[in-house]
Amino acid sequence: MRPYLSPPLAVITMIGVLIAGSYAVAVLEEIAGTLVSRRPLRLTYVFWAPLATAALLLTQGRTSTERPDAQAWALAPALLAGLAAVGLAVIPIDQNTSVADPAAGFVLYSAAISYVMVAVYLHGWSANSTLPLIGAYRFIAQAFAFQIPFLLVLLAPALPAESLAISDIVEAQESLWNVVRQPLGLPIFLVVSAAATFSLPLDFPDAADLAGGTSSEVSASHRLAWRGARAGLLVMVAAMGASAFLGGWQGPWLPGWLWVILKTLLLLVILIASSHTFARLRIERFVVLAWVVLLPLSLVNIFFAGALLL
Amino acid sequence: MNLDSLLIVAAAIFGIGLYGALSQQSFVMLMMGLELMINSAILATVAFWAASTGGSPKGQMLAIVFMTVMAIEMALGFALIVNVYRARKADITEKLKKLKA
Amino acid sequence: MSTSAPVDVLFVLFAAGAIATAYLVFRTDSMVRAAYWLLASFVGVGAILVLLKAEFVGLVLMLMMAGEMTIMAFVMVMFMMNPAGLNPMLMVHQHKTAIAAGVTSFLVLAGAALLTDFPNAPATQTSRATEELGTELLGESMLVFETAGAALLGTMVGAVAVASRRGRYGDAEEGSIEPPLQPDEEWAQASAHRTEEDEHEPSVHGGHS
Repeated sequence: MRPYLSPPLAVITMIGVLIAGSYAVAVLEEIAGTLVSRRPLRLTYVFWAPLATAALLLTQGRTSTERPDAQAWALAPALLAGLAAVGLAVIPIDQNTSVADPAAGFVLYSAAISYVMVAVYLHGWSANSTLPLIGAYRFIAQAFAFQIPFLLVLLAPALPAESLAISDIVEAQESLWNVVRQPLGLPIFLVVSAAATFSLPLDFPDAADLAGGTSSEVSASHRLAWRGARAGLLVMVAAMGASAFLGGWQGPWLPGWLWVILKTLLLLVILIASSHTFARLRIERFVVLAWVVLLPLSLVNIFFAGALLL
Repeated sequence: MNLDSLLIVAAAIFGIGLYGALSQQSFVMLMMGLELMINSAILATVAFWAASTGGSPKGQMLAIVFMTVMAIEMALGFALIVNVYRARKADITEKLKKLKA
Repeated sequence: MSTSAPVDVLFVLFAAGAIATAYLVFRTDSMVRAAYWLLASFVGVGAILVLLKAEFVGLVLMLMMAGEMTIMAFVMVMFMMNPAGLNPMLMVHQHKTAIAAGVTSFLVLAGAALLTDFPNAPATQTSRATEELGTELLGESMLVFETAGAALLGTMVGAVAVASRRGRYGDAEEGSIEPPLQPDEEWAQASAHRTEEDEHEPSVHGGHS
């Protein structure tokens, strides 16, 4: 068993990582939006804009719908943020530093991913309004489509490590990173994690064609919490990608935790850039793609990962 | 936390599940009762694994078999609900006085 | 089996939560809430399993149940009346018998648990349960494991066969044929047929054109 951070330090780390991660996502979104719309990039504006948005949302008044399931509606963003925290907790920060690193860390992470479906469904259902409900049902279809490829593509890095603990998975990449050893892994992972975080090319539950989908009826602090939780989710999948495919803390010259942050940022940049460059699919196209292309590809990936070990 | 307290918790969940399975009219609520009973069985199995078998992995194996049973029950249950609803427009047990179509 | 004080506190919390949420499943009017209360009960039991060092089984239980309970909520919203529970309702039969059966089974099981002398052989705290379970699953108990897999495959085939659109009573989508881009005779007939049905049951079909 590896040494853990002490409980108070672990809590502070988790809160810090979530807030800093959501802020980083917001800044990257701002930069990507500026570049795509060919406006001049002003750095002070880019760094202040997320804070200004947050302040604006916090000072707005909250709206409501007719007879929503108020408790579930209010708690759905909290559940999503909590899931992001659970997923981030199993990812080691440095060689001998982690918040929680259980022997079945991979299963805990997968469980967190599958509860995203619960949070999004509750968020859409409890609003008691049409567009959020359509978004919620869309996400059920989407979630069942991406979940199995997601599990399989993350299971492949566990094969060379012969362990389900994330730190063992990172350690097994000392000679060769999984991005090279399993060339199919990272691309599939990026597609399914865009689906898991419902970010732009695959943002079906919160899509613009539903006027915001599950978040179309929320305002003010509720909207801020939902957006923050979504950003936290994005950080969670990027951090997992960095640990499972890009060698986590391993790298020359710099300290390990800095490598984890840099690799996570790299994956965040890829995810956010692709959300601003690819056109959105229709949900049924994506579901077919997930079941017919991604699932067999991830099986091929796991087969080759196993064959390499023989 | 000892074996007795774990088994009492399992018994409580089993009792609630049995109540639900016997009392609910709606098919899905009835299945929820069944699920709760299997849930308590899993809890009791793992409690015995941890307290009385010296940690033999066979105990956890049995819990995994229970989970399989639960998955099978759910899948077939939902398939039957869909089919019964299509054939009879029935969503509660009272509407199924006879099983023959 | 002796456990430390924090573990005991957590156990009491999770146990109380699992029982309370299991009770709430049958005490709420909203179908979605009922499904997610059941999910909460499973999470409570899963957490107790993690406390018992059966990490893998506990986490897999939680992982499985998220999907299952969402399907459950989904099916209830599809088929059951009043799924949002906006009107209070009590859909029960043989209520007193059921309560009596539930209480009796609890008393009998709890009594059996308290009165029986079970062998005291606790799992060692340092045991690598996840690794042992993996070896067991793909070693000695491989046949059981594979049988579970085959049973699940059979269930998948069976469930699809039972619930598939084509059955003994014809196509399930009959009567809801999408209009083609080019009007053709077949659709015109189906549409005429549907209009007739509409006249008989004007309240069932809304203003679809």
